[in-house]
Order: sequence, then C-alpha cells, then structure tokens
Amino acid sequence: MVKKRVPDWLNSSLWSPPPPPPQDPVSRYDSKSATAAAASTTSSTAAAAKDVVVLDPPIPVPPPSLIRPEPPKAELRDPLSSSDENNNGSSAAASNSSSAEDMSRRAQLSQELSKKVLNMSELRRLASQGIPDGAGIRSTVWKLLLGYLPSDRGLWSSELSKKRFQYKHFKGELLMNPSEITRKLESSTSLGNDESKSESKGLLSRSEITHGEHPLSLGKTSVWNQFFQDTEIIEQIDRDVKRTHPDMHFFSGDSLFAKSNQDALRNILIVFAKLNPGIRYVQGMNEILAPLFYVFRTDPNEENVAYAEADTFFCFVELLSGFRDHFCQQLDNSVVGIRSTITKLSQLLKEHDEELWRHLEVTTKVNPQFYAFRWITLLLTQEFNFADSLHIWDTLLSDPEGPQETLLRVCCAMLVLVRRRLLAGDFTSNLKLLQNYPPTNISHLLYVANKLRAHSAG
Amino acid sequence: MASRRRMLLKVIILGDSGVGKTSLMNQYVNRKFSNQYKATIGADFLTKEVQFEDRLFTMQIWDTAGQERFQSLGVAFYRGADCCVLVYDVNVTKSFENLNNWREEFLIQASPSDPENFPFVVLGNKIDIDGGNSRVVSEKKARAWCASKGDIPYFETSAKEGFNVEVAFQCIAKNALKNEPEEELYLPDTIDVTGGGQQQRSTGCEC
Repeated sequence: MVKKRVPDWLNSSLWSPPPPPPQDPVSRYDSKSATAAAASTTSSTAAAAKDVVVLDPPIPVPPPSLIRPEPPKAELRDPLSSSDENNNGSSAAASNSSSAEDMSRRAQLSQELSKKVLNMSELRRLASQGIPDGAGIRSTVWKLLLGYLPSDRGLWSSELSKKRFQYKHFKGELLMNPSEITRKLESSTSLGNDESKSESKGLLSRSEITHGEHPLSLGKTSVWNQFFQDTEIIEQIDRDVKRTHPDMHFFSGDSLFAKSNQDALRNILIVFAKLNPGIRYVQGMNEILAPLFYVFRTDPNEENVAYAEADTFFCFVELLSGFRDHFCQQLDNSVVGIRSTITKLSQLLKEHDEELWRHLEVTTKVNPQFYAFRWITLLLTQEFNFADSLHIWDTLLSDPEGPQETLLRVCCAMLVLVRRRLLAGDFTSNLKLLQNYPPTNISHLLYVANKLRAHSAG
Repeated sequence: MASRRRMLLKVIILGDSGVGKTSLMNQYVNRKFSNQYKATIGADFLTKEVQFEDRLFTMQIWDTAGQERFQSLGVAFYRGADCCVLVYDVNVTKSFENLNNWREEFLIQASPSDPENFPFVVLGNKIDIDGGNSRVVSEKKARAWCASKGDIPYFETSAKEGFNVEVAFQCIAKNALKNEPEEELYLPDTIDVTGGGQQQRSTGCEC
C-alpha cells in the first residue's frame, strides 16, 4: 500500500487543462490518510503556511537587473519599472511603447482583475502585450492564464485553499524518507506528527525499523528499494537547483533567503518527479520552474508569498502539460516529441524566409537542433536576461491555444531579426550567434513574431 | 586553397552530469574557471585555433548535456567527430563506471568507420577537491580501464586550477588529427597546404 502511493489518475487528468472533478481529489488519492486529513483541512492549511516556505520577515527582493553581474544587458531594463521604457530607436514605431501606454495597460489590467467574473479573452489580449512589473499583477495574471485561478473571483479562495492543502499533502507523503514512512506505519499515524516530517525531509535519521522495512531488504515492495532509486534523481535535482540562475541573489548564494528559495524549487521538482514516474526529472525543468517561482514569491501579497511553493507547483504542472513530451526520451522521434517540434520551427522559417532557411540549413549546414533544442525545451529562459524572459512569457502564456505556436513564432522571429548576420555567416559564426543570442528589444521581437501569425493566417 | 574540411577538428566531450565538461572546455578555450555554470542543455559549442606541427587547425569543441535522457539526441552532435573525450569525476564512482556506457553509446550513434581505432581520450577531473582526500577512483584503476579499451590516453585534470588541461587537449588535438586522413582521401588536392599532409599521415599510423 505504501509502495503504490501514486494512483495513475494523478498522471493524467489532473495535469490536463480541465481541472479534476470537484469531488475531493484527496479522498480518491489515499482513502486512509485522507479521511483523517480532510477532517483537519482548515487547521492544517493554516499550519501549512509555516512549513511550506520558511518566512522570516520579508526580505526586499532586488530586481534581477540590479544584481546581475553582466551590465550590458541588465542595465537596459529594470523589471520593476515599466518594461518598455528603453524601447526607443528603430523599432519604436513597431512596438507601441511608452511609459504612458504601459501605465494605461496596468490600469486596464487592474480594472479587469477587479471584475467579479473576468473576461479571459480581454485579459489575454492585454497580457500578451506584456504585463507591467510590480503590484503583483503578473503573479495573479499568470495564475489565471495557466488556469490555476478560475475566472470567477468568488471561487478563488476556496480553490486556492483546496490546492494548497493538496500540495501540503503531496509533500507530506512524497518527501518523507523511508525511516519516517516505517515509523509512520508503526505508530499507525495521526496527522499530529506533521512537523517532524517536514523538518527532516530527505535526510535519513536513525530510528527503530521493524516490519521487514530495513535498508538491506531487497523485497520489491520495500520502501527502501524505492528510496535508493529516487536517490539518484534527487542528487541530479540538487545539482541543478544549485546551478539555477547562479547570477541572481534570489536563487543563489549563501543567504537564508536564497536557501529557502532553493529548497522550494527542490521540493517541487521532487514531488513532480515522484508523481510522474514516466518523466521524473529532466535537466532544464529547473529553468522552467524558476520564473514561475520568482514571480509568485515576489508577489506583494503575504499570503501568496507564503504559499508560493504550492502555487508554483500546480502552475508548473499546468505549463509542462503542454510541453512534457519534449522531456520524454521515448517520444523524441514521435510527432509530439522535441525533434518534431524543431522540425516545425524549421518549416516555419522556410515558409516565411526561404532564403535564410536555405542558407542556414543547406549552405552552412546548421542543424536547427544545435540551437533550437535549448530555445524550445527551456521556453527561451536562457537566451535573454531574466526580466526579458518574463516579458516573453507574458506573451507565451497569453495564447489561448497554448504556448507552443507562439513560442515557435518567437523563435522564428529571432532568426529573422538577425538574418543579415546569418546570411553573411558560416557554420561557426552562425552557430555561435544563435547559441549566444544578442540582446534584443523584446517588444520588437514579439511584434515581429506576431506579424508572422498574421502572415500565416492571411 | 586549403579545404575547410581538412582544417577542422571536431571534438565531443561526454560524461555524467556535473563532472566538469563545461568547465574543462572553458578552461581550455578561455583559460577561465567559474563556479557559475548552468547545466548544459542540448550542446554548447566553442572553437579554438590550435597549432600542431606548424599547421593551424580550428578545433570545434562540443560540450554536451550529461543526463542520460539527452543521449538519444546525441546523434546530430556526434556525427563527424574526430575525437571523443570521456570525462569522469575522480570523487564519484558512478561517473567512472558510466564511462563504458558513454563510450559504447558514442560508437553506436556516431558510427565511425573504424570503431576499433576511433580515438578517445579519458579525463579524470576534479582532482583538486579536498586536496585529493575525497577521491574514490584511483589513478591505477582508471588507467587499467583505459588500457583495456585499446590504450586510451588518460589524464588527471583540475578544470578549476587549470591543471593538465592544456596538455590533455594537445593530446586530444593530436588524436583528432590522426583520425582525419581517412576522410581526407576524398580531397587529395588539399595536400599543398603546408606540405605537412604526408607527415600527418605517418603519425596517424602509430596508434
């Protein structure tokens, strides 16, 4: 019973766009512990605030641009000010950009968000142009765009507490180490010892072990057997979490703040890996997780900050549901796998700029996989500075069809924007250019990408 | 004129996640070490001009992702490689044990024309850590494995301190060059570059 903790439905229905049926998913998940759990929903939800994210007095979060060591890109843009301020120059005409317009978009978004029932298509339209930083607007809008918050504001509070409780439950079950599981089995369990579980997550502690559940038991049902299989993936997660945005104090360094943020990323990735045994953890997931967690964790609303980890988990699952096939090795050669998506990008380029396509792929033999693999699997999080990536994600997440088609258009626009350099380049210079994409006016990039849509449609 | 084919040496770096592939490549190419590298996704690419026996070559170095999941995507990167560098961390047993998998996977995917004699070089990295006290794979053990796989050249390196990196890559270049002549048979008119072509061919037979 302990071994088969995760029922199959968790790997499908919950992760697809329509949320699971409203009947209490927890009780379907694990009848025994859930009954007890459901009884204490309210009290443990309140308690969850404490052990989800360790919150010292809120630490002011410096905008990423101020702490990034590379000045050239970072100075261009302060993510907490209006995102288009620096948008002068040649593309000003293209991208309708001015602080005034930014202010008005902020006002429009705020107004839209204050309605009782939100008009999602209007929200998508506004958000696709870029969400102004600050005031927690992006945090709320992303949750809406990802379907985590329903469009009816009246349902927000109950939906949030349900999901946040569910995540707490996942953590309790999945982040326990085998000693704790056996101990829990023995003491035939009440929820009273929640604190001890979360305190020592992942660490082996000494304890009395009986019932044949000991580390040398080779039985397939042994919780230890599962544990050793998990260890390798957890080590990989640890390695990569430590390498997530090493240039940002939010994620990296020795501060308690950075450590607690790393812990949150780690917890989410482990819970996800255990709930999705077909995919588990694939390198790069940390990079997709990071923007979500950053945005939710820097929300000015204290309750949202306290539950940033839980909210991030569900939004990550939702976002990945459209892309999970890219992470699955078995699907690499299928129509939904990463190779097929890269081929779509190639076709898109050929359709819009055959000369460039021919020069890249035929003349200089730059296989699109050499650069686009990272662009696509990491949703462009590595190609631009952090603030610019958030701006791109505003547009990606706003697409009602899901982010992929927009993503491919943005990638295609990236190629078109440097076409003159590419057409003059050979294999080496072209690949270096595309693997180290130059700082770019993001509004203009998104404008060009959107024009590709119009062009295709027309 | 010189054909580009002749002047280019393609080198692939393989090994488990976190053994220091990116650091080794950057130490060699840029003579810099940083502990701020992100995990490599897909493959990164750097080039370096190298001189060998009075001839200039461009070494094209491909730094790959370490997680097993990415192996099946390797074929695009591996093909046409002139030398394959296998890296492990002397402080992590598993990364040494996996060298065999990496080697076999490479041979399957790159399908070189003469797999028996395809040049590999093995690097045992991170020998600086804890003054060598946390080391778990002995040099003797590593050399024994290399010997059993057709005398693969072996170097112990520290990408962090730049120890042995230059020497190792010179050997990598030399071995990559040995692999070249075979493909050059299709381009006989390239011999006039520096007059060193014939000479290269003879060193190529020593292995």
